[in-house]
Amino acid sequence: MPRPALLPEGFRDRLPPEAEAVASLLRTVLDTVRMHGYLRVQPPIAEFEAELGRWLGKPGGARLFRSTDPATGEGLALRPDMTGQVARIAATRLGSEPRPLRLAYGGTTVRARGTEIDPARERTQAGAELIGSDGVAACVEVIGVAVEALTACGVEAITVELVLPGLVEALARETWPVADAEAVAAALDGKDRAALASLGADRYAALLDAAGPAARALDALEALGLGGEPADQIARAREVCRGLEDVALRLDPTERHGFAFQSWLGFALFGKAGETTLGQEVGRGGTYAVVRNDGSAEPAVGFSLYVDPLAEAGLAGAAPRRVFLPLGTPPEVGRRLRAEGLATVAALSPEDRADRLDCPLVWDGAQVVG
Amino acid sequence: MPPLPPDPPLVLALPKGRILAEALPLLARAGIRPDPAVADEASRALRFGTSRAGLEVIRVRSFDAATFVAFGAAQLGVVGNDVVAEFGYSELYAPLDLGIGRCRLSLAGPAGRAVELATRSHVRVATKYPALAKAWFAARGIQAECIRLSGAMELAPAMGLAPLIVDLVSTGRTLAENGLVEHAVLLEVTSRLVVNRVAMKTNPAVGALVDAVAAAVAGARAAEAA
Repeated sequence: MPRPALLPEGFRDRLPPEAEAVASLLRTVLDTVRMHGYLRVQPPIAEFEAELGRWLGKPGGARLFRSTDPATGEGLALRPDMTGQVARIAATRLGSEPRPLRLAYGGTTVRARGTEIDPARERTQAGAELIGSDGVAACVEVIGVAVEALTACGVEAITVELVLPGLVEALARETWPVADAEAVAAALDGKDRAALASLGADRYAALLDAAGPAARALDALEALGLGGEPADQIARAREVCRGLEDVALRLDPTERHGFAFQSWLGFALFGKAGETTLGQEVGRGGTYAVVRNDGSAEPAVGFSLYVDPLAEAGLAGAAPRRVFLPLGTPPEVGRRLRAEGLATVAALSPEDRADRLDCPLVWDGAQVVG
Repeated sequence: MPPLPPDPPLVLALPKGRILAEALPLLARAGIRPDPAVADEASRALRFGTSRAGLEVIRVRSFDAATFVAFGAAQLGVVGNDVVAEFGYSELYAPLDLGIGRCRLSLAGPAGRAVELATRSHVRVATKYPALAKAWFAARGIQAECIRLSGAMELAPAMGLAPLIVDLVSTGRTLAENGLVEHAVLLEVTSRLVVNRVAMKTNPAVGALVDAVAAAVAGARAAEAA
């Protein structure tokens, strides 16, 4: 017997009004970035597996949803993330366009496996990438646009957390040498002071102490008197904060969760939907390198977000109100109401009713009534 | 810079049993006194108020405490590092070793029967910790077939379910009473204060609570030393 409409794990049907909300939120994000001069690109959902991972400076780490091209036998994969595809376009087909190059994108992504916390495998991603600079001004612009896009989606109490994905590695290399740098980084991932102590890396606990509101965190980091590459990163983070005075900023110098390919700066956005604190980051981004075919690298900064969790949290974007048009309503009435921004639902038979068709408004022959 | 968002109420997940009994004095030292019913195993209540405003306590199984915190249903919890390591949740921070609930995760088998790991490609193990057991054996080139049990692991060898067990050992008395001996220690265990990653970043009250418990732990250690 066939299973009753069962879907594979991590995939789901979205019904009204959630499906509408996903589409509307996606449009809201793309409209916001378009108004900041970002131009839309649309890469395909599937690519050669070998091509997907090679345009960002570091591997992304997502597990690929793979298959073999039935036509040629070559390995294909669905995109787990669109950033790498945008990097590919910037490095190749738009390689000779003037810089900075501002690109926007939105669409479906698929990963081979979800996590226990977030089991979704199909997700709707939207974002913007600025290729040609990873400097302070570029970072300030991209973070500002990300905050504006989320605000337009209805996210409230937005907090941006800045992270320095290369800081611990640079410290371990130059300033505070340790025997097992990866074990220290893993202990810092879990904010596990006991593990730091057992690794002989006690002084790294100062980085855990520093995490918090950005101004205070930067004071604490500067007070460590680090010098070299770490000091340079901290100084640049300070400048980014100065450029974002009207944004609630935090800084966590050791966080690397989800920042697999970022270079000197990463950021994550947190927020609320109504009274609900969203349980995960609502968006993230940072600086990275776009690697060209000749091996040369170009700096870039961008952000992306998934709109599905926003819709699930009840954010809807702008949805038109629905008005019921009884049988015999002249077509020009419908045209006029749609032009005024209402969605019209026309009766097809005398049995049709406004309430059963989810219409709070009705055309009574002369006007719209509630 | 606008102020960070205001604090919603916090939930602290405490495990039932021995760790709860050890955790309560430490929490009291930090100014957190849950409703006394929390220590009453006969009480059917699952949620309890505390003396600290805006803080509630839930009483759950120790594995579930980690899950509640990882999913953000509770912001903080008291969980052994055995459970933290078994789940490997990326959403859990373990900022503080509470120094309570001290025991070890060990490999044990029937007394008088040698375990020749060097010649084995496969073992069968009864355990509540399949992920940790698999990883420990895999690092030794051995594929571990784990039979998941939630209690009374010590029965498994005598009943022919599995020749070896991986389980928590504190005094070793239960092992001895069942004719078992310890072969190796996989992990030294103490309880940790665990914190949900996003709550730590978005709610300043979480950090304040971690600091209060850290001060209590330091105070308890100083008192012990004196």
